Amino acid sequence: MVEALFQPLNIFLLGLGGGFLIPLLYRIAKPLPALAFITALCGIAAVSGVNFWALRNGQPAIEVYTAGATPPISINLRFGAWEGFFTFCVNIAALLGAWQLWPRLRDSYAALLLYLILVMGINGMVMTRDLFNLFVFLEIVSIATYGLLGLERGPAALAASFKYIMATVIASSFLLLGSVLLYHVTGTLNIDELIARRELIAGPIGTTALIFILACLILELKPFPANGWGLDVYETAPAGIAALVSVGVSAGVFFALLKLLPLFENHLSLIAVAGGATFLFSNLVGLKQTNVQRMLGYSSIAQMGLMMLALALLQKQGAAASMPLVIGGLFANHLFAKAGLFWLAGAVQRTEVAGWSTIAGRPFVLLVFALLLVAIAGLPPFPGFWAKWELVMQLSGAQLYVWIALILLGSLLEAAYMFGWFKQATRAMPGDLPVSFTARDLLPAAGGAVLLAIGSYHAAQLAGAASLWLFSPLIIGIVLYALDWLPGRVKCCLMLLAVLGVGNWLISETTGMSGLFATVLLGGGLVVASAALYRQDSRPGYYPLMAVLLLSIATMMRAQTSLEFFFSWELITLSSYFMIAQGRHAHPHALPFLLFSLTSAFCLLAGFALADAANGTSLLQAFRTGGTDAASAFALLALGFLIKAGAIGFHVWLPGAYAEADDDLSAMLSSVVSKVAIFGLFMVTYLAIGSQVGLELAHLMGWIGMLTTVIGAALAFRQDDVKRLLAYSSMSQLGYIITAIALMSHLGWVTALYLVANHLMVKGILFLAVAGVILRCGTRRLEELGGLARRMPVTFVVAVVALVSMSGLPPLAGFGGKWLLLSAMVDKGWYGLAAAGILATLIGLLYMFRLAHALFLAPPQAAAVHVREAPMQLLLPQIVLVGAILVLSFQPKLFMDPVSTAIDPYFASTLVWEGMSLETIYGYWNPVPVMAASIAGAGVLFLIGWTVYRLDQGRTAATGIAEFYRYYIKISQPWSAPLATRAWESIARLGTVSAEATRRVYTGDGQMYVLVALFYVLFLLSANFIAGHAG
Amino acid sequence: MGLPVSTLLMTTGFLLVLIGMWGILRHRNILRIIIGFGLFDTGLHIVMVATGYITGGTAPIIDTALGIEQATTRAVDPVPSALVVTAIVIGFSVTAIMLAFAIRIHDARKTLSIDALTESKW
Amino acid sequence: MKAASSLLAVLLFGAVFAGIVGGYGERESVSALAEQYLAMVPRELGAPNVVTGILITYRGFDTLGEVAVLFMVAAGVGVLLGGKDTTTASEPGREPRRPSELVGNGAEITLPLIFLFGAYVIKNGHLSAGGGFQGGAVVASGTMLLMLALPATKLNHGFLGVTESLAGVVYVGIGILGLVFAAGFLDSHILPLGEFGTLISAGAIPVISALLGVKVGAELSVIIDRFRN
Repeated sequence: MVEALFQPLNIFLLGLGGGFLIPLLYRIAKPLPALAFITALCGIAAVSGVNFWALRNGQPAIEVYTAGATPPISINLRFGAWEGFFTFCVNIAALLGAWQLWPRLRDSYAALLLYLILVMGINGMVMTRDLFNLFVFLEIVSIATYGLLGLERGPAALAASFKYIMATVIASSFLLLGSVLLYHVTGTLNIDELIARRELIAGPIGTTALIFILACLILELKPFPANGWGLDVYETAPAGIAALVSVGVSAGVFFALLKLLPLFENHLSLIAVAGGATFLFSNLVGLKQTNVQRMLGYSSIAQMGLMMLALALLQKQGAAASMPLVIGGLFANHLFAKAGLFWLAGAVQRTEVAGWSTIAGRPFVLLVFALLLVAIAGLPPFPGFWAKWELVMQLSGAQLYVWIALILLGSLLEAAYMFGWFKQATRAMPGDLPVSFTARDLLPAAGGAVLLAIGSYHAAQLAGAASLWLFSPLIIGIVLYALDWLPGRVKCCLMLLAVLGVGNWLISETTGMSGLFATVLLGGGLVVASAALYRQDSRPGYYPLMAVLLLSIATMMRAQTSLEFFFSWELITLSSYFMIAQGRHAHPHALPFLLFSLTSAFCLLAGFALADAANGTSLLQAFRTGGTDAASAFALLALGFLIKAGAIGFHVWLPGAYAEADDDLSAMLSSVVSKVAIFGLFMVTYLAIGSQVGLELAHLMGWIGMLTTVIGAALAFRQDDVKRLLAYSSMSQLGYIITAIALMSHLGWVTALYLVANHLMVKGILFLAVAGVILRCGTRRLEELGGLARRMPVTFVVAVVALVSMSGLPPLAGFGGKWLLLSAMVDKGWYGLAAAGILATLIGLLYMFRLAHALFLAPPQAAAVHVREAPMQLLLPQIVLVGAILVLSFQPKLFMDPVSTAIDPYFASTLVWEGMSLETIYGYWNPVPVMAASIAGAGVLFLIGWTVYRLDQGRTAATGIAEFYRYYIKISQPWSAPLATRAWESIARLGTVSAEATRRVYTGDGQMYVLVALFYVLFLLSANFIAGHAG
Repeated sequence: MGLPVSTLLMTTGFLLVLIGMWGILRHRNILRIIIGFGLFDTGLHIVMVATGYITGGTAPIIDTALGIEQATTRAVDPVPSALVVTAIVIGFSVTAIMLAFAIRIHDARKTLSIDALTESKW
Repeated sequence: MKAASSLLAVLLFGAVFAGIVGGYGERESVSALAEQYLAMVPRELGAPNVVTGILITYRGFDTLGEVAVLFMVAAGVGVLLGGKDTTTASEPGREPRRPSELVGNGAEITLPLIFLFGAYVIKNGHLSAGGGFQGGAVVASGTMLLMLALPATKLNHGFLGVTESLAGVVYVGIGILGLVFAAGFLDSHILPLGEFGTLISAGAIPVISALLGVKVGAELSVIIDRFRN
């Protein structure tokens, strides 16, 4: 009895019976139709859910026969695992969508029945096994859509609907003609029989008929460029209806393609090309959109293109095992994220992207918004992330590199416009009219986000990466978010405790290099993070994100596979992005940070895909043992890490993000988060050793590092903003580390690790010291500060310690680092690099002196006259770090022994430096003369500069150290054009210009749309014809 | 005797489809475009029926003209005929919806020219 | 430019269609499936009209969908054109035009015949050419003539709406009866086959046919009436 109640056929009985009853009930009593509608819709969802659950637990697929006969005599339906998944997802989305549309549906019983039968029709398209019946269900879906589109009576909406009807009628006519012709050729309409007899589908009629059917399905999925009609409807329809068209109707059509795919074995490349072009170009044009729903339309179309592409390529590779993760993941991800965004757009009711600043002050709305965007962009932890990873891995295994590039480029474009939209929502504008919406309006979008979160874990399970430890940063983040109502300092303490406890558990089993990094970064991270206690405000969302950030660093160190590593990497990126975006003036800088981070991540993804294919395993361990030729994998991975480290050319995101983030966050970013990229470099650089090309690349990386150092230092020299100065200094210092890693020797790596530890502490101190100065003086400009040595003595002392250590003056740790680096370079014979290193050290000395002078020694300016010492909460972490510097300087063995052990597995055989302690090194390479010469060199340089400065007659201002610097900054102006910034700007402009050019195909002319659709069919026919004759 | 009758029928059907297509693509008036769709559909229906024909066949209805035992050899294929009924109904439905939209569009902007329907673009 | 590409599209499709026609050869015998139908419908469903047998029983699921399509069109046209009556009816100076003598008088004579013929076509769907859809269309054409001849006629939408809904619900109900009492959803064996070739025979096919006729007739009439305003 219960079984009969949940028979899949009941979906249709409920849909049709309910639909037919609604007018009757309306005559009886007005509220009855709504009741029947809700019952029927819930019933449909329940039936699909119950059966899907049973199928998941191993029940065989359910066959439904009609008319008491067996196919092909009668029509049959199938409810297998795929059908169950698709129908269940669509039905749940339909329920949420009905909630969103309820104010419109409630008033019109016709709308209720149209909606109900539409949902049933999508279920029918998924379940039917008869080609002509598929046509009937397609028409049911189409006509219901037309009717629902009629709910919106504006002229633009009517016009868009008419164009939509014209195009879809043409498309479905081809399905009709194709089915009848296929029947003529094969004598059956049953899909299973058609597949069994597919060799009969030949000759002019058979092949044309097949293309007609394919053309209908592809056209219904809105391929570029034959999709203007779809976009117009997305733009003008009510958000709830647009959501339904975007996810529901497309789901039905896509499933039809999925089930007919065996018929299209010879057309897989064609489908992939259609999908790929759609994915790329829709996302390109999306860049230029200002209308929210139209932009979502482009994204919808692009996602369907990606699914087409994935389906065709996986089928072609025979990778059926990956389909549930890739297709299922992409589908569920698109379904709930896109529908959620449409629903959110419906709730917020701002048609233009620029109007979204109105939600700036609403944390919960922003949270939902952010989650949906993260999902759409294919970022963790959502199903799209796992699906994309698996897809790229499969494509890499099949050596389809062009497709990988296309997917990653398209994804980047999509992220660009989607997060560009988010950018608007993070800053309130003066003219904003307040929005009024209730929790009720938000429910569907929030529901979509929750379902995505549930889907994440299942997707991770499919990907074989679901484990408590990997998800622990997110779990802690959620718990802390639930406590976000507590006072700021309480939250900060809770966060520190959670990170300490969970972080320790996470890194307890890490060893070697990861263990070293884990200890240093987690320890340093906790110290720097504790500085947040100086702020009293609540900082909504900040502490949960900080926990996610720090714990993700820990999981990254623990990662055993490239997937786990990449997952943690993306979480680090995302949590830092959302924290940076909270900075008061970070508005223009957060997006470049994210986009460069994503570019970096996509390089990593591609690099891992290549490396895993070359290593034959996804285990990170293989990077150490694999002697394969993996130069291209190394190049991509190194590029990814270099972008993230802010290497020269890619550094343009760095100063803005570091400078405009909250002051304590800047310290975290510069000291701790930047080291994550360095860890990545350590991990992959060993790949380069496998081949000569790889070693050349490593040499190149050495030069990139050194250039970064020199130019970073030169840029730091020119800054008037103390935080920007430190940001460029950070860039410069990371350059040393990159060069040291590129040395590929035991000595080089020891140096690199030594510099990592040194830089972490130094930058932590300096940024926190500056945070205190900004807190007390309220300005970041060098010329407005001064004389703080007396007013903030503790800050002064720790900053000087840090500066000395950073500049490489003896006796502090930086000296050892610099010295080791020079020796390692000379040892390797890289004299050019060594010379450049000395130059960079000199410039470094100059800007560091300027910093110390301007803040502490110069005569006090107005802002700095009546100030107190920085608060204890800020000073304490700095003092701890100073202690660490002193330990590192005077007891280097404590650090050097584990470092040496960690490096031994890599360079044991090519050992240049036989595990000597630092003291021995000092003794062995007598450093004092060289260092003395360096300092003397800097002194001479300074003297020459000073003389030139004094002798220049054209100089007008008074003398003084500050004036001296300003003088040189001014004369360096003409030849310091921001080349990198300009280059990236022109790339961005290229994107928008080509987007502008591309979107001209959408003229708005309905007949043109039909014409393009017809030519699309002709294109498919001719491509097939040519392929048939060529092959 | 020249061409088989179903070939003629099919040719006629396809010609109607092409005429309809031309009407859809070239006429500016929405009502004429809808007529174009009507022709397009009708042409398709004729093609459908034509594919079911067998040489010398008769309607698949058992009566005095067609004995039950001859049915399998002398009747035309009933499947396309059954399908075409459905197709006609669906074609009718689409036409009705399009006409309703046309009326609404005319109400909204007092013109039936498709050139006016270009608010959304790019 | 656009004209030229339109012409090109039409010509190219002409070539594609010519390819199909060129590859087409009239068949000498029907497909195996059709043969089965031709044998099974008279024998097992007891309906002389094989097309109706297929339509109502074997492909009854399609037909049910088709009914749903029509039903939705009635609703959809209602959504689109509903609420229009008030705007146009209030327009002053628009007297309804009187129908011509010929239409008026002709309607008086032919209307009863048309409705009768419609009923005949519906009732004989399983025996000879015809069926619910065809008969329903005939009835609706009668309605159209009625409106042309007597523009003042008001259709009772409430009644028609209830009728079409009821017909639809009963149709689904009969389908369920097939599930319970016969071999599957929409199986027409819930009623005895009766004597081959008589009016009351072929199981539930005539019942469904009649329901279809009523439903289609009512729906088409409603749709036509909606356009009248």
